[in-house]
Amino acid sequence: MTQFVQALILGLMIGGVYALLASGLTLIFGVMDVINVAQGALIILSAFITWALWKEMGIDPLLGALITTPAMFVIGWVIYRLTIQWISGRPASTSVLLTFALALVLEGIMGLVWSTTYHSSTPGYVDESFRAGGFYFPKAQLFGCAMAIGVLAALYMMLTRTWLGRAIRAVSENVSSARLVGVNARKVAALTFAIGVATTGAGGSIASVLYPFLPGSHYQWISRLLGIIVLGGMGSLPGALVGALVLGVAETMTVTYISPRWATMVPYAVIMVVLLARPQGIMGAKLREDVVV
Amino acid sequence: MTTAEAGPKRRTGVPGFLTAHGWRVVVGLALVALVLYPVVSDNLYYQNMIILSLLLAIMGSGWNIISGFTGYVSLGQSAFLGIGAYTTALFAVKVFEGASPFWFIPISAVVAGIFAAVVGSVLTRTRGHAFVILTIAFLFVMQIVTLNWSALTNGNHGLSLPLPLWNIDYQNWPFYYSLLGLMLLSVAMSWWIRRTKLGMGLIAIREDESKAASVGVNTSVYKVLSFVASAVFIGAAGGLYAYYLTFIDPRGMFDIVVSVQVALAVLLGGRGTILGPVLGAFILEPLNEITNNEFSGGNERLIFFGGLLALVVLFLPRGVIPSVGELWARWHGAGKAALVGARIDRPAAVREADAKPEPAHGTGRQLLEVRGVERSFGGLRALDGCTLEVEEGAITALIGPNGSGKTTLFNIIDGTMKSDSGEIRFDGAPIDGLPPWERAHRGIGRTFQITRLFREMTVLENVVAPLRTFSWRQLAADAVSGAEAQRAQELLDFVGMRAFAGQRAAALSYGQQKLVELAQILMLDPRLIMLDEPAGGINPTLVDHIVEMIRELNRQGKTFLIVEHNMPMVLRLCDPVLVLARGSCISRGTPAEIQKDERVLDAYLGEHYVAEQQAGVR
Repeated sequence: MTQFVQALILGLMIGGVYALLASGLTLIFGVMDVINVAQGALIILSAFITWALWKEMGIDPLLGALITTPAMFVIGWVIYRLTIQWISGRPASTSVLLTFALALVLEGIMGLVWSTTYHSSTPGYVDESFRAGGFYFPKAQLFGCAMAIGVLAALYMMLTRTWLGRAIRAVSENVSSARLVGVNARKVAALTFAIGVATTGAGGSIASVLYPFLPGSHYQWISRLLGIIVLGGMGSLPGALVGALVLGVAETMTVTYISPRWATMVPYAVIMVVLLARPQGIMGAKLREDVVV
Repeated sequence: MTTAEAGPKRRTGVPGFLTAHGWRVVVGLALVALVLYPVVSDNLYYQNMIILSLLLAIMGSGWNIISGFTGYVSLGQSAFLGIGAYTTALFAVKVFEGASPFWFIPISAVVAGIFAAVVGSVLTRTRGHAFVILTIAFLFVMQIVTLNWSALTNGNHGLSLPLPLWNIDYQNWPFYYSLLGLMLLSVAMSWWIRRTKLGMGLIAIREDESKAASVGVNTSVYKVLSFVASAVFIGAAGGLYAYYLTFIDPRGMFDIVVSVQVALAVLLGGRGTILGPVLGAFILEPLNEITNNEFSGGNERLIFFGGLLALVVLFLPRGVIPSVGELWARWHGAGKAALVGARIDRPAAVREADAKPEPAHGTGRQLLEVRGVERSFGGLRALDGCTLEVEEGAITALIGPNGSGKTTLFNIIDGTMKSDSGEIRFDGAPIDGLPPWERAHRGIGRTFQITRLFREMTVLENVVAPLRTFSWRQLAADAVSGAEAQRAQELLDFVGMRAFAGQRAAALSYGQQKLVELAQILMLDPRLIMLDEPAGGINPTLVDHIVEMIRELNRQGKTFLIVEHNMPMVLRLCDPVLVLARGSCISRGTPAEIQKDERVLDAYLGEHYVAEQQAGVR
């Protein structure tokens, strides 16, 4: 029982971090029908930047998010302007091919700059834990999770309380109607993509502490994130939170009770089961598709 | 009909600066060069390069069937390479130790085909982005299972195959010629599929899947078959590849980067063409070798491939073969733009028959019965206990305010959508559980409010595409048989669109598309024709033509159910008229009765209007 609760605690904390990482992917898909497969590579990029800042300048990896978030925002905006904006209106599978291409380029660049060996940000508290009620709360996980939830809350407020957020939601509902009421859909799409990529800033900084990473780790991340947003309902932010918690717990439970070797299988199993049994996911609504928008 | 013949020729996707014969010569010479190369040269470096190009070409040809013809992008195709490789390796290492691995190549093909059939029958139930994500998941699941099932696969350590035993003088000839043969086979299969009913159905699915289903194409079987066809030769190639490498491991065999290279090769050469995948492979693989030699590590290759893929997706989305053909056509003005503006003929039927309007009479039998059908979208009730009948032989109108559920009802009757509850009977038998194509086979044909033709097909192909039955033999039949072309020409004549038979459907005006869509569903020879706003958005003369055609078809025994907002047309053509409001049928009667019915006025104009009318207020 203790083992179960401990696994649950760890799973939920990891799930909080996953939620932040998946939020950008689901936001981008919801607004522009783009499956950004490069999101995993962007997380690793942010992790490398965090690592470099920590190694060279001694900046705490979690505080590094203050630098990586704006940096990733700019990178996202540039990527959108250079590539994504030219495929708007083409099927989602085109976006998969294009962003996969970007992921490969990023993987190659990171390999050249930082080499293809495992890296890890290890600040002093990484091996320390709080103890409460007989359970361990590893400091890195706890700080990471708290920070992730803070950033997610800020993102949620931005989407629900600001004019930009309303415009983003309008475009995600119906592009042509949003245009008609005066929303500059292209600008909104660029900002959404940049914001979506900016979430990998804080997310990658946290991930650099929690997991060792190398350029090729992005496959693992993107499959995990796809599993999460498929489970939660693609395009749904609350869905991503629920999906992330479920996946985090499912992974720790697999590690605890089956074998770490099969933990990598969890996201794929989730993807297959959900897409086949309930394609709209947990929080996704099934809307009519016959009406031309 | 010169235009009908000129059209398809222009659409073969082959650049026009050589004649078809000229291209045959070019392809033939390339083939001869490939066959002779190992005999005249003993350069193993180039032999290896060609072997890998052939491998990529086989994979590309396979990928092109599911992703080029059917339009479902798969990033899991390299899983079949791995499945084929492990099948051959396991047989050669564990089952028949000492036997030549060549014996197991056919088994590899069969195993890959079985995997594709099982996985495909599940995967192809999804659409759009779900499919591509699932194929990625499938690939990684295969990789993880192969890694972890060490007892069978030796896991991470991989499997070593026996070394080739033939005389060193033969170099790699057995590999070279086997792969060359496999490539020819897979190209031949692509070519054959493209000219059968199966191929035409796949293109129809790519262009508009639910439309294809509604005109009788059994999309489930078609999709699974195309997935299987796309896998078998990759499986066989995987077996050869394993033997060629003599060592395989899970990460190398189930590699998503290989899947991406395959996609890149086909996009480069020309997606949906027959030879594009081969051309793309023979461009890409040498580039691969060059980057391998120029740079030391894998990072540069990733950047090179990623960059090339991005450039192709952005700037050359249709690939080399179609793009070059298009450019050539543009420079040389080989278009037929003028014809699109040509006049529509007066419908033949109307010219022949004396167009004396007479009210249609039903036979008294109910052809279609809708009982208590309900359907919600989220919180919105589009249909709320809708009950109505359509009498055989009648022209029934279905009117109602916007949002009253007319199109939803159409979608539920033809099977495009499922109802939440309720029953639909056609010709006395319940049809609720039937897929759309079976309903089409039973005699339900419908047009769409916004016309939906297969845009990349010609008008003639559009009219021939509907299928009145499903049989396995039919799949292998010619895409357009002589009799079908004849019948299609007659139908196009009937709607007055014969002159456009060779045009691409996308080039037609909206009104012309409506006429072609009508001819298209007539190909089904349906008993019930459901028209969704036949007069919407077209000019009054054409409306008159359509009214005359409906009358003529009705005289020939066709039953009609027509959704229409053009009231003068409804009142002059239809009897009875059904009124739908808030998802249920609130009134039924002759045009005269409906015009006086207060419930109808209320539904359209609201209570206030009715009250004001009664009070005598203007």
